[in-house]
Amino acid sequence: MAEVKVKVQPPDADPVEIENRIIELCQQFPHGITDQVIQNEMPHIEAQQRAVAINRLLSMGQLDLLRSNTGLLYRIKDSQNAGPVSFFLSKMKGSDNQEKLVYQIIEDAGNKGIWSRDIRYKSNLPLTEINKILKNLESKKLIKAVKSVAASKKKVYMLYNLQPDRSVTGGAWYSDQDFESEFVEVLNQQCFKFLQTKAETARESKQNPMIQRNSSFASSHEVWKYICELGISKVELSMEDIETILNTLIYDGKVEMTIIAAKEGTVGSVDGHMKLYRAVNPIIPPTGLVRAPCGLCPVFDDCHEGGEISPSNCIYMTEWLEF
Amino acid sequence: MTQAEIKLCSLLLQEHFGEIVEKIGVHLIRTGSQPLRVIAHDTGTSLDQVKKALCVLIQHNLVIYQVHKRGVVEYEAQCSRVLRMLRYPRYIYTAKTLYSDTGELIVEELLLNGKMTMSAVVKKVADRLTETMEDGKTMDYAEVSNTFVRLADTHFVQRCPLVPATENSDSGPPPPAPTLVISEKDMYLVPKLSLIGKGKRRRSSEEDATGEPKAKRPKHTADNKEPIPDDGIYWQADLDRFHQHFRDQAIVSAVANRMDQTSSEIVRTMLRMSEITTSSSAPFTQPLSSNEIFRSLPVGYNISKQVLDQYLTLLADDPLEFVGKSGDSGGGMYVINLHKALGSLATATLESVVQERFGSRCARIFRLVLQKKHLEQKQVEDFAMIPAKEAKDMLYKMLSENFISLQEIPKTPDHAPSRTFYLYTVNILSAARMLLHRCYKSIANLIERRQFETKENKRLLEKSQRVEAIIASMQATGAEEAQLQEIEEMITAPERQQLETLKRNVNKLDASEIQVDETIFLLESYIESTMKRQ
Repeated sequence: MAEVKVKVQPPDADPVEIENRIIELCQQFPHGITDQVIQNEMPHIEAQQRAVAINRLLSMGQLDLLRSNTGLLYRIKDSQNAGPVSFFLSKMKGSDNQEKLVYQIIEDAGNKGIWSRDIRYKSNLPLTEINKILKNLESKKLIKAVKSVAASKKKVYMLYNLQPDRSVTGGAWYSDQDFESEFVEVLNQQCFKFLQTKAETARESKQNPMIQRNSSFASSHEVWKYICELGISKVELSMEDIETILNTLIYDGKVEMTIIAAKEGTVGSVDGHMKLYRAVNPIIPPTGLVRAPCGLCPVFDDCHEGGEISPSNCIYMTEWLEF
Repeated sequence: MTQAEIKLCSLLLQEHFGEIVEKIGVHLIRTGSQPLRVIAHDTGTSLDQVKKALCVLIQHNLVIYQVHKRGVVEYEAQCSRVLRMLRYPRYIYTAKTLYSDTGELIVEELLLNGKMTMSAVVKKVADRLTETMEDGKTMDYAEVSNTFVRLADTHFVQRCPLVPATENSDSGPPPPAPTLVISEKDMYLVPKLSLIGKGKRRRSSEEDATGEPKAKRPKHTADNKEPIPDDGIYWQADLDRFHQHFRDQAIVSAVANRMDQTSSEIVRTMLRMSEITTSSSAPFTQPLSSNEIFRSLPVGYNISKQVLDQYLTLLADDPLEFVGKSGDSGGGMYVINLHKALGSLATATLESVVQERFGSRCARIFRLVLQKKHLEQKQVEDFAMIPAKEAKDMLYKMLSENFISLQEIPKTPDHAPSRTFYLYTVNILSAARMLLHRCYKSIANLIERRQFETKENKRLLEKSQRVEAIIASMQATGAEEAQLQEIEEMITAPERQQLETLKRNVNKLDASEIQVDETIFLLESYIESTMKRQ
C-alpha cells in the first residue's frame, strides 16, 4: 500500500484546489477511491463543497463514477480508457450530456451500426432532439451514416473511422449497394463450364465406372482455385462465396453435390468433410405439355369455345402451325 | 369429374362413336350411376337408342353395370377409362415395338372392338396382314396365334370376366344383370385352339375378272357356319400392364439421361425381372440379388460381375435414389424405389413447365423452394443470388399461378401481418393436380382446333375425295393417261397446296395431343401412387 501523504491543509474553500486534490488522490489510487477516503483526506471541507467538486470533475469527464459492493467509487479516467472519448470531449467540452449519451450508444454498436429508432429507444430522448444531435455529430465528423443493403431507406450510424460490417454492405456480391447480377452470372457460367469439362473428360476415359464417377467430381476447393486463377473477379473471393455460387447451380438443376468425410488436413476440408460437385443432365426432356401452345399460353384461363379467345381462332396456334 | 375432363370425354366419345353415344356417355359421367329408364327420360332419347348406346359403351369397357337392391340395374360411366382412349396410339405403338406388326394389329383390333374372341382376332389380323403382303403370300394363322399367346403370357391381353357357370340355373328367375367373375389364374389362360388356315385376301372386284369370286364366296359363307371353338371366351387389352411398361420406360430413360447407357440397361433388366412378381401399385419392387441380375442381363452385354457390382453400388448411392440396397445376401439385394422414381419424374415435369413458362431464373427459385421446403422472402433472394426486386416479382407470378403457396406463421395471436412470418412452399401434389387439369383442357383445345381446321376445309376435302374416287374407277375400267390427267387437274395447284397444309396441320395437332398425353401419364401415375400410400 502506497504511503499516503498526509497533508495538513489550511481550511480553504477554493473549489479548484479541492478538485485538484481529489484528482491527485485518484491518481494515487488507480483502482478508485470511495467518498470515505476523500473525507478522510480533507476533513475540513464540508460535504456540500465536496459534492460540488466531485460533480464538476465528473461532468468534465476527468472522473469516472463506479459502483462497487462497498459503495460508490471515483476513478480517474486515464488516457487509455478515455481514448476517443477524451479526444471527443476535448473537442466539445461544452456539449450536452445528451450528445455524449448518443455517442456512447453508437460506439457500443460497433461496426454493425445502429438505427436512429434504436438510438431513441436506448436513450429515451425525443425524436427531434435525436435528429438534431445526429446532425451535429455528423457535421463534426464523429459519426457517419451507412446505407444498409437490406432496406435501402434505412440508414445505420456508426463511428466515423470504422469499417462497416459485411452484413450491412452485402459482401462480395454488392458494390455500392447494388447487387452485381452480371458478375454472379459470369461466375455461374464459368463454374458450370469447369464442372462440365471435368465430367466429359471423365466420361471419355472409359475406365471402370467407379473411377469414372469419382473423377467427374470436383471439390469446392478445386473450383475455388480455378476461379481465382481465372482472374475474372476483382474482389477477393473466399471458398464460401464459391460455395454459394455452386449452390445456385444446384438450384438450376445442372449440378449435384455430395458430401464425403475427409481427413482433417486434406486440402479443402472443412470440419472433417468435403463438398464435391458434379455436372449432370436433366432426367427428362422438356415435357409434352410445353410443346403445345396451350402449355405456355398467358390467356389460358380465358379460352373457351365460342368466346373471344377460343381454340378455333387462337393466334398462338396459328403461328405454331405455320412453323 | 372436372369440367375440363367432361369436355374432353365428350369430344372423344363424339369422335369415336358419334352423337348419340356421346350424349348418353356425357350424361352418365355428369350424373353418376343411373338406371336405364332415368337415362332415357333425362336425355330425351328413345329407350331403344339408349340401349344400343349402352351396348356400345359396355362393349368398350367404358360403362359398368351393377345390380342394386330391389333388382334395379344401374349403369355407371368410368371417366378415367374414357380418357384412356387418347392413349390408344401409344399402346399400339408399344405392341409394335415389342411384337412387330402382328402384335400391333392384334392390339389394334382388340382396342377398336373392345372385346373379341381369340379366333375372331386371329382371323381378322391374318386377313389384314395378307392384304399388305406381296401377291401369292399369305399369313398363316399359326403365326398370329403364337403372337397372341405371347401377348397373353406377358399379360398384355387378358380374358374378360365371364358369366359364372351355375349348377342350379333354374332355382329361380335369373337375375336382371349377370355378375361377371374371373379367377386370377384363368385370366391369361389361352384356350387350346387349333386354328388352321391362312389369311384371305379381300379381293377387290376389279381383280376378279374370272368367275373366281363367285366360287370363293360360297366357301366364305360356309366357313362362317362352322362353330367357333372358343365361343364365350372374350379377350381385352390389359391397360394396366401397358401403363406399367410406360412407367418402366420412363424410369429407364431417366437413368440413361442421368448416368450412362449401361446403368440404364441394368435398371431395365431389374424392372423386367420384377414385371410379373410386383403388382403395379407397389412402392418397391421385390428385392433382387446381384447374382440374379447378373444371370438375367441381356446376352449382348458381357460385363464382368465385378463391374456389375460397381454399377449397382453407384446406382444405389446416386442422389436420385431410384435404386436402393435392401440387404447383403446373394451379393447384395437391390430394390427399385418406384414411388420415389415417380415422384422425381413428376417433380421434373413441374420444373420443366416452370422453366418453359417463366424462364430459367424462375426455375431456379422454384427448385430452391422445392429443396428447402419452406423459405422466407429474404432467404430466397440470398440463396438464389437474384436481386431482391426481380426475385419478388417472380415469386408473386408463380404464386398467382398456384405453383407456389404461402404458409403463414403468426408471431402474435392476433395474426397481424407485420408480425407474421410468411414462408413460401411448394405442395407437389396440388401443383401436379393443377397441371393435370391444365393438360386436359389443352388436349380438348387441340382436338377442337383440329376439328375446326377440318371443318373449314370440308368442301375441299370432299372435292378431293370425289376426284380420287373418279380416278380409281377410271383406272379400273382402263382409261387413258390423258383422261386421268384431265381429272387430276380438277384440283388446282393452290388447292393442292391447301390440302397439303391441312394434312400437315392435322398431323401436327395429332402428334401434339399424344405428347401432352405423355405428361398426363406421368402426373396421373404420381398422383395415383401418392394417394395409394396415404
